[in-house]
Amino acid sequence: MRRRHPFTLLALAGALPALAWILPAPAGGMATAAAALGLALLPAAGGGATVARAAVLTAAPFWAFLLLLHDAATALAIGLRLTTMVASVVWVVAALPPARLVEALVARGWSARAAYVFAATLAAVPVLRARARRIVEAQRCRGLSPRGGLVRRLRALRALALPLVLSALHEVDERALALETRGLASGARRTALAPPADPPAERALRWGLAALCAAALVWRLA
Amino acid sequence: MSVRLLALIPVAAAVSLALSAAVDAVALPLFLDTTGTILATALAGPAVGVATGVVTSAVNTLRNPTFWPFVVVQVIVALYAWLAARAGLFRRFATAVPAGLGLGVIAALASTPISYAVFGCTTTGGIALTTALGRALGLPPLAACFFGSFVTDCGDKTVTFALVASVLHALPRRTAARFPWALRAIGAA
Repeated sequence: MRRRHPFTLLALAGALPALAWILPAPAGGMATAAAALGLALLPAAGGGATVARAAVLTAAPFWAFLLLLHDAATALAIGLRLTTMVASVVWVVAALPPARLVEALVARGWSARAAYVFAATLAAVPVLRARARRIVEAQRCRGLSPRGGLVRRLRALRALALPLVLSALHEVDERALALETRGLASGARRTALAPPADPPAERALRWGLAALCAAALVWRLA
Repeated sequence: MSVRLLALIPVAAAVSLALSAAVDAVALPLFLDTTGTILATALAGPAVGVATGVVTSAVNTLRNPTFWPFVVVQVIVALYAWLAARAGLFRRFATAVPAGLGLGVIAALASTPISYAVFGCTTTGGIALTTALGRALGLPPLAACFFGSFVTDCGDKTVTFALVASVLHALPRRTAARFPWALRAIGAA
């Protein structure tokens, strides 16, 4: 599954939740949730049972809250749709490495800037999270405590957030220089190093999924 | 868009996501997931702010799939922050805090229909529990859903606005001058 074109994986992950909302509940939701969980169980998704377990664990709190707020029929209808959405996204995240998606976008003529923004954010999040953890530990050494009144905790939040945000903003210049050095300012179209293969069967599958969603919508509205 | 402003987008989006994870350390029931959107708007204008909001939602969706339907709220937050920056509401805490409260009301109004229609008001534990409280108080389902969003969004956006004002004032002038709107947002230009 990992060798499929990124757009095919995204089309599957987008079509299943769309069908879950379009098709009548609960049968439609059951079919799409089963399909999404089935995809997550595929070993090629990057872990098989691990991916399916992550999907179920992510969806479980929604079921609890739905049963708290709604009657059983409504909870079942919404819960199956949410399970489809959660399982589809968890599956596509496991099956589609971001770098492969960026390659596919660049190969399809998307701006290198858009590809950079997406890839750079994915790379920056773990770095800043690790820095935030270090700042929390450093502030704890200086007496930061989650206890106390609201004002004290808001002061603690400021002591945590300011160093993190200011240090991140200081990095912007370095990043800008690196991007200019690599010619991103020129706006020239990039050539993808290893563009993913996009066989005609996969293109047909994507069109088929779009047609299926459109047909289901027309059928429901008729 | 200049390369510097392009480089600001992933940094601001990552700040939102890192702060969302780090806020647990001070045991406050806040999201802070719009901090980067508001900060990027105040520093560089609405286009950078909207782009930051969309990227934040897209990357957050990879962690928690329920974030994507709320991308429209990020766009509204960016546009509101732009109006607030133009009106000089980041210049003092006395104006930033009420502006954040106003954003909380608008964000709750924008997120309630999405939360109600897509998630049955179960987007987070806090919203689900405050919605249940609203139902227990006798509110109809949609009003209870708004009550849940209102309680969480007002506190979150007020603190976020105050935090961004704090960052803007703490930013060294030399650094602030590199962003087109930073000095104007705090009334230093």
